[in-house]
Amino acid sequence: MSTQAGRARLIGRRRSLAVDLRGVANLVGALTKYLSLATLVPAGVALGYGESPWPFLGAGAIGGAVGVSAELATRGHRRLGVREGFLVVSLTWVVAAGIAALPYLLSGEPQLSKPIDAYFEGMSGFTTTGATVLTDNQELSRSLLFWRQLTQWLGGIGIIVLALTVLPRLRVGGRQLFESELPGPEIDSLRTRIRDTTRTIWLLYVALTVVLAGILWAYDLTGIDDAMTGYDAIAHALTTIPTGGFSTRFLSIEEFGAATQWTLVLFMILGGANFALLYRALVRRRPQALARDEEFRLYIALLAVAALVLCAQLVAEGIADGEEAIRQGVFQAVATMTTTGYSNADYVSWGPLALMTIAGLMFVGASAGSTSGSVKVVRHLLLGKLLRREIDQTVHPELVQPIRLNRKVVDERTLRAGSVFILLYIGIFIAGALLLMLDAARVGLDLTVLEAIGAAASALGNIGPAFGFAGPLGSYEPFSDASMGLLALLMLLGRLEVIPIVVLLTRRYWRNV
Amino acid sequence: MKIFVIGAGQVGTTIVQALHDDHDVTVVDLDPARLEPLAHRYDVSTVEGNGASRRVLAEAGLASADLLIACTSRDEANIVSAMMSKAVAPRTTTIVRTTNPEYLEVWREGQLDVDFIVSSEVETAHAISRSIGVPAARQTDVFADGQIHLVEFDVEEGSSPTIVGVPMRQAPLPNDSKIAGIIRGEKMILPGGNEVIRPGDRIVVIGSPAAAQAWGELIAPGSGKVTDVVIFGAGRAGTAIARVLLEQGLGVRMIEADRERARMVAEALPRARVFHSTGVEPDFLERERIGEAQVAIFAMRDDMKNHYAATLARVHGVGFTIAIVHDPPAIEVFEHAGIDVTINPRAVTAEEIVRFAHDPRTQQVSMLEGDRFEVLDITTRPGSEYVGKAFRDMPIRGALIGAIVRDGTAIFPRGDDILRAGDRAIIFTESKRVPDVEQAL
Repeated sequence: MSTQAGRARLIGRRRSLAVDLRGVANLVGALTKYLSLATLVPAGVALGYGESPWPFLGAGAIGGAVGVSAELATRGHRRLGVREGFLVVSLTWVVAAGIAALPYLLSGEPQLSKPIDAYFEGMSGFTTTGATVLTDNQELSRSLLFWRQLTQWLGGIGIIVLALTVLPRLRVGGRQLFESELPGPEIDSLRTRIRDTTRTIWLLYVALTVVLAGILWAYDLTGIDDAMTGYDAIAHALTTIPTGGFSTRFLSIEEFGAATQWTLVLFMILGGANFALLYRALVRRRPQALARDEEFRLYIALLAVAALVLCAQLVAEGIADGEEAIRQGVFQAVATMTTTGYSNADYVSWGPLALMTIAGLMFVGASAGSTSGSVKVVRHLLLGKLLRREIDQTVHPELVQPIRLNRKVVDERTLRAGSVFILLYIGIFIAGALLLMLDAARVGLDLTVLEAIGAAASALGNIGPAFGFAGPLGSYEPFSDASMGLLALLMLLGRLEVIPIVVLLTRRYWRNV
Repeated sequence: MKIFVIGAGQVGTTIVQALHDDHDVTVVDLDPARLEPLAHRYDVSTVEGNGASRRVLAEAGLASADLLIACTSRDEANIVSAMMSKAVAPRTTTIVRTTNPEYLEVWREGQLDVDFIVSSEVETAHAISRSIGVPAARQTDVFADGQIHLVEFDVEEGSSPTIVGVPMRQAPLPNDSKIAGIIRGEKMILPGGNEVIRPGDRIVVIGSPAAAQAWGELIAPGSGKVTDVVIFGAGRAGTAIARVLLEQGLGVRMIEADRERARMVAEALPRARVFHSTGVEPDFLERERIGEAQVAIFAMRDDMKNHYAATLARVHGVGFTIAIVHDPPAIEVFEHAGIDVTINPRAVTAEEIVRFAHDPRTQQVSMLEGDRFEVLDITTRPGSEYVGKAFRDMPIRGALIGAIVRDGTAIFPRGDDILRAGDRAIIFTESKRVPDVEQAL
């Protein structure tokens, strides 16, 4: 009936890509535009301290221009589905790190003059990692240091929004783990509910930051901590709640008094708890919810065991004793496991058992639904239950054992996603450490095994400090440019929980056939 | 009494058989082939039609009926019949048979406008619980949906010295339980605080399921609890049985051939160990040491499967086997194979309905020692002389209230609790005093 040409027209040409790139560019452009506004804050700080606001205003202008033009050029293309979501999420973090890097470059700060170093610092900020290339952060202007702190706070809030709104729709499993704890009816009106939930969690995040800043400032005003200032109070509140770890001080938290250190321990623990659970416990005044939550119980138990091991080491090795030993051990266990990465002592000189403990903690992470990185306690918990079931089933192959978390049955798909995550995570860690070794051999850097493992684990787990030259008082500066790029990629992978980025590397993501 | 029976299946037939002598019975069923034999055998009137139809019920004269029993095999049809009956004749008492324990739950919460509901699954489960719940007991009976247990024990020399030979007020008796009576030879003693239990006594205890277990341990230390019950088949019947046994603290393993169903039940009953297997693979039985189970219950839908599985389980060494038998003639086959207990759910259901039909106020009776003693389950009248009195002030007249059921929940009263009108009282008494007791309450 139809001519050959007509049939060909009807069948049409195969579209080369199954992903709407213009739609993605449009949304990423819009997000970039809003993010650029954040540069006004450090610009204000700069004016307040009589420093130059131009690096920030310039960065804001560039970011804004790029964002607006991307948005305008792709106007009308807003076909965004689950597929596009993966790309949007990944690109947003890539671009955000770029915006974070711009003021470092524009300021002409010599320690951050290489674009890759500035980008590393920016990625370290937005992924709430806390690794640094700076060898002396006291050289930076106050406004630049403040911007560095602020990027972590923004990255933290970003990941909360992501965890609540985007990742679940991508079926990466994050939602189910997070959701199971949230109060309220299940399906009702999902949209309003997500928005409400997001706002609630945001408010909690902001409130915790304000409270911590207030407490630290009070230490300054009352003279409890002579080293504390109003500036430091706000700056450290901005990096504690998102479990970031950047500090405005050369010796990180070691410069502050015991009261400040203990306060930060408490708030790091809070920052590493599931925010939905915290909301129940703190806002709804149901503290028993904490004790009933399996993940929270294990989280605290693991922290306690790690702290005990570290304290015992410190005393046994004669490095510290009394309150100081307890404070250093607890602080380091908490800072590492919550993936904050503050330090109140240079643990590089501690004994091998202590280093091994810290290296192990890098793979634990804190709770799901927090801003911490790494594997997270709930995945370990579920994997443990899964392993126990597998072992049970070698003896009782016919036994039907649903796995429960907080008495609720966990979907088998969620379990599988969790196991796959852990496998991918470990695989990427090993590949990362090997590549660091390879690159070190290429450029002739003297890299020890512990340093390579530490740097890869620390970057992937969004922790910050590693071992050796990249230890708490050290810097990642000795790494080559290629290694810096690799570490930035590891931070990104860790922050977005690996799968959204790995998906982008598959052919099936981009094409239908 | 004028009684309507909706459904002339096995349950309906059994009910008709029990009630036709004393009552004026009308049977309604869609199938004339089922009505005909009934009309031939018993003096009942039959109506061919849909029992869930208001018109059919009205034309059959439901308005003047005292009782409607809806016992077809379809739950929803039974409930609709009862609803229609409420519309046509609001004063008619309604009894509904259901196979779904969920309806029972809804009814207990007062959400279903039916006077009495009987679930075959739950009745079956209670029947099983009676036969294995407390191994040391001579007899066990269950009241108020399993919330109240009545257990009769023989006290022997080996019974726990903490309760034997000690005045009862000093003995550490299990919570939520009461000694309803001590039978010493020909004498029946309603125990006061100074009474002493002696070896050779026979005692009757009323209490919660957990208390019944605790008593079993006191009376025959080491007779132990049944800790390993295997249920074959995790359908509605198997699940209802598992639920009841788990509530009593028994250890339950379940075997289900359907993967999805096994998963569902494993999710619903965290304390049961559920296996996905047909239950007749020798490898599986050997690997799971099914032969070492104390009791095996066969609750699959197919009698032949139950029969084969039960026989196989006996071959593997299970000591005590209980089978659910759907087809009454098959009972003989099971008995021949050496199965210890057979339970027909429809017969159990019919019995329960008949018991209620005899006297709606006395929901259940149970006989002990032949017919010397009776346990009554009576709803108290507002005008009773006992209503409003504290239990310690009640005159002892050869009867004892062991427990009461108030708003569906069992209460084991202490001395200062007060009896209210509408409470269901579980009373232990001598048979000859039953009329007095019924009069008094």
